[in-house]
Amino acid sequence: MGEPVLGAEALPVHPTGLVFGVVVRPPHYRWDGLSLVNDRLIAVDDKALAALDDTLQVVIEGDFVGVVAKSLTLARQGAERLALRWEPALASDSTRTVEPAPQQSVVRQHVSQEPVSRKHVSQEYGWPSRLRWGEAPGWVVVEQSDATLRVWTHTATPEALRLDLSRATGRAPGEILIEGPEHHLATGLGRHCGDDAAVDAALMAKAVGRPVAVWLDAGYMGDVQALGQAQRMTLAASVDPHAPITGYRYRQAFPRGDVAAVGLLLSGRAAGDEGGACAVALHSPYTFDETRLSAHTGVRDGAREELAEIQETFAREAFLDELARARGDDALTLRVSHLEDDRGRELLENVARRAEWGTALKGDSASELARGRGLAYAQLPDRHDRMESGVRSAWIAEVDVNRITGEVRLTRLVVGQDSGAEVDTARLQSSLQTRLLGRAPAFDEWGDGGGPPPAALPATTGTALNSETSAPPSKDSARVSSGFDEAALAPGVAVIANALFDATGVRFREPPFTATRVRRALAQAVPGQKAGGTPTSVTFKGRRWLAAAALTTVAGSAVMAWPWKGAIAPIARPAATLYSAETIERGRLVAAAGDCAACHTVAGGATNAGGHAFDTPFGTLYSTNITPDEATGIGRWSYAAFERAMRQGIGRDGRHLYPAFPYTAFAKTSDADLQALYAYLMAQPSVSAPPRDNALSFPFNQRALMAPWNALFHDPTPFSPDPAQSELYNRGAYLAEGLGHCSACHSPRNALGAEQGGERYLAGALVDGWEAPALNTLSRAPVPWSEGALFDYLRTGRADLHGVASGPMAPVVAGLAELPEYDVRAIAHYVARQMDAPVVDAPASAAASERLLAAETGPVGQEAGERLFEGACAACHVDNGVPGFTKASMSLALNTNLHSDHPDNVIQSILGGVHDSAVPGTGSMPGFADSFSNTQVATLAAYLRARFAPEADPWQQLEQRVAEIRRPH
Amino acid sequence: MTLTLKVNGQEHSLHVPRETSLLAVLRNDLALNGPKYGCGLGECGACSVLVDGIAARACVLSVAAVNGREVTTLDGLAQGDRLDPVQQAFIDAQAAQCGYCLNGMILSVRSLLNHTPVPSEAQIIAALDHNLCRCGTHLEILDAARRAIDLDAAQRGDLDG
Repeated sequence: MGEPVLGAEALPVHPTGLVFGVVVRPPHYRWDGLSLVNDRLIAVDDKALAALDDTLQVVIEGDFVGVVAKSLTLARQGAERLALRWEPALASDSTRTVEPAPQQSVVRQHVSQEPVSRKHVSQEYGWPSRLRWGEAPGWVVVEQSDATLRVWTHTATPEALRLDLSRATGRAPGEILIEGPEHHLATGLGRHCGDDAAVDAALMAKAVGRPVAVWLDAGYMGDVQALGQAQRMTLAASVDPHAPITGYRYRQAFPRGDVAAVGLLLSGRAAGDEGGACAVALHSPYTFDETRLSAHTGVRDGAREELAEIQETFAREAFLDELARARGDDALTLRVSHLEDDRGRELLENVARRAEWGTALKGDSASELARGRGLAYAQLPDRHDRMESGVRSAWIAEVDVNRITGEVRLTRLVVGQDSGAEVDTARLQSSLQTRLLGRAPAFDEWGDGGGPPPAALPATTGTALNSETSAPPSKDSARVSSGFDEAALAPGVAVIANALFDATGVRFREPPFTATRVRRALAQAVPGQKAGGTPTSVTFKGRRWLAAAALTTVAGSAVMAWPWKGAIAPIARPAATLYSAETIERGRLVAAAGDCAACHTVAGGATNAGGHAFDTPFGTLYSTNITPDEATGIGRWSYAAFERAMRQGIGRDGRHLYPAFPYTAFAKTSDADLQALYAYLMAQPSVSAPPRDNALSFPFNQRALMAPWNALFHDPTPFSPDPAQSELYNRGAYLAEGLGHCSACHSPRNALGAEQGGERYLAGALVDGWEAPALNTLSRAPVPWSEGALFDYLRTGRADLHGVASGPMAPVVAGLAELPEYDVRAIAHYVARQMDAPVVDAPASAAASERLLAAETGPVGQEAGERLFEGACAACHVDNGVPGFTKASMSLALNTNLHSDHPDNVIQSILGGVHDSAVPGTGSMPGFADSFSNTQVATLAAYLRARFAPEADPWQQLEQRVAEIRRPH
Repeated sequence: MTLTLKVNGQEHSLHVPRETSLLAVLRNDLALNGPKYGCGLGECGACSVLVDGIAARACVLSVAAVNGREVTTLDGLAQGDRLDPVQQAFIDAQAAQCGYCLNGMILSVRSLLNHTPVPSEAQIIAALDHNLCRCGTHLEILDAARRAIDLDAAQRGDLDG
């Protein structure tokens, strides 16, 4: 899609006096079909806010609570400090399901005999209150003047939003101008939370009298979940394989079928503003004996007439598809045989011919793409409610479903309409793709979406567009929805649901059909079992992959200790075109966060071709080739095999992998990130590099022993955010515990090589001849770390009071350079919390560093060490008052390594030097391995310890340690 | 990868591995033999050059680390026929025996005077503390450094005037 998206970088508009708003929803609220049931606000205490900033304002209207401030961060902090008391909603409410009896029905009576072979089929369909929270995180801005209320937001339903805003602010709908990037795609099909955010902003703007910006992101998922279904459709029919369908029943459970913005409902302004009674006449184009259609009349405040038609068409056309399958009938034949209308039959047959209905879809059974085709039909009354002169509309759609990612692409759409304006199918296709199927997710969208908030944008400086230069408001406010006749889109939802069933054998009874939902449904569906009550007497194209998926699920449960795993069948290397460029780019960032190349590349070798040696207490291990080479790499690994390796530590051939490969951490990675990583790795150049044999001692060379090891030490549960923690912390935890696998190096391992948890988590460890220092409260840094210092270190490779990234940490920092700043900040925040570190360097830190520098004097009795230091080190490491480009900028007295219990990093640095090839600008130091004997290195290290960390105990057995570290691998 | 190196006022485009030492590039690729290869470990100072006017040991510096910076070697110190005052002072003081260390001595004094136009005796000694001389010419070298202060001030006067 080429249209602009409201990004995290800039506000769409920056009106004078703009302030930022955050809302606080009640602890419990939900839509019960008729009204919002929510906890009642009974007391507000905002005393704690004044201490934060005296310009903070709290907006209360009914049970709506908002906090407005000059920056988003400040508003969020204010919202956290606001003390609110809520009275729980009545307990009886929480179980009540409102489903009033329908008051109007259209009945066609025709009595006939009931044959014995008749089967009663009944099914429920749903329509969500919100299709999803939105497309991508972005700003929603409301600006009011005497004449107009201007709103910048994402919305698919501008007319419904206009009505909500009108009721929230008391303005006439004509005064409300809605701006946004996607109005040409507005279909009226389904709401998302852009509407809720816009009403939130409008309520706050009205109360404070200034323009208000609200950040719309996955935080609004709470609204999506609380509102749940807006409509429930129950269908039933009697089916006989040898006779026409009879006894067709259709019933809508709720009178509205649509739910107004949450802010409007909470404010209490929605109640008492009823639009009066209006009758909904439902129509079915088909003729079934004994048809009964029921929908509500009565109070339909704000309800949209055409929505009832859309919901009815979706449920009917999908249900007919189910009936056709139950009877073993073709979907087209079933429809045509129940249509009395000649024009409709002709249209259906025409469209079917053009779309080559009935021919087999070309598909590759080994490919990860499943293909499917679906059909739907509608006949809509004209504006005088006459069916005969209304529009008939027949749709056939083809979809490609990626069995791994769940991504659905609408590949072909044939729409025939027997009257009215010509249909722009290309635009329809793109519109439906966006509305119902979604786009490829962004890297930052993890879990069910939800990128980071932007860094607090300056509220006063005009970095973004001002209102004069942004797009002028649309003069004709009706134009925004003129793209399509909303109701004419009704078959669009059913046609995709039917095609999806054809492709996967799974019936989706509620839109939208986003990648996440499709993936979940596919993973739950097991051949031979009912998938959500679906009759499964159908061809099951997804079987191959689904069987593999079932296998991984089982592997994740209690049978993990079973030592031999089956091999997962090799596949042909997936075509490079299988994944979108966005997915591959996301995968590149995932690979950077996981730093695959650091371990899978040998110095000077091809990237990811393996061969890097790991010295472990159990022997030497070599990393493997993870390029997509078919013979020596992972080219023939299916995604299922890849995922099993990443989550369970089992190779494609069923062999256990050793936990030097940190699958124990990677198991925490989200599905979406893992899929993107697979896509990225498969898109890289393949390198032929046979794996080296490991040199492990018995019994560690017995891979099967890894099975009980896993049962003891491996928890394959994916990461779940801690709701008690901030978004920043959770993002940091996700990256640090999962992809970043910090603990793989920084946590000590037990005698069997398993990472230790609890107090030993991130307590530091010796890895590969280097010490990974403690990242928890056991940190031995002479000046305590701060969150800011950790961020500097991770982002630039150096922290002023601590030192530079070197050894195995240098490539980690180089990998992190690829990640957005927010992610690095999140990791720093998470690690700082493990250390109980302050946010910025405390004044005490500066004082501590001065004290350390002042205390620096040469130790007595170590003349040999002093001579070595003066000769080899002092030129760069002693400050003689004259600047030098090659001088180390930081005194050794501040270097964490000299204060550690272990001399390893000091010895490593003396022997191998420090090289800035991974992280430019961190400085370079020559290695002295060729010019110093073990004794000299040990003497020098002892001197350094005594001079720069005089309060610490001397290191013991230095010479022996030097010999061990120097020994070539 | 291509690196841009500005040496003695002239720009050079180089195709060398980024971790190549600056000294190797200066001597081998650019044929500037003022800087000498001594210990190769940054200990003796014979390889010294100026990077943005301050002394640096070219044997321990990767060429990538000076990408986009201005490098001056002994070869580029004189302005045409006119020697740098520090060079002139070393000739006047006859401060050479074998002369191998003189590149580093001259550039260290140049760097010191750029930073501290009138250094104390202690500052001169500290600045030359880690430049090694094997011939025992230390007294002459210190004498040269003292003479350089005046010559340098005089030349700055010239230029100002």
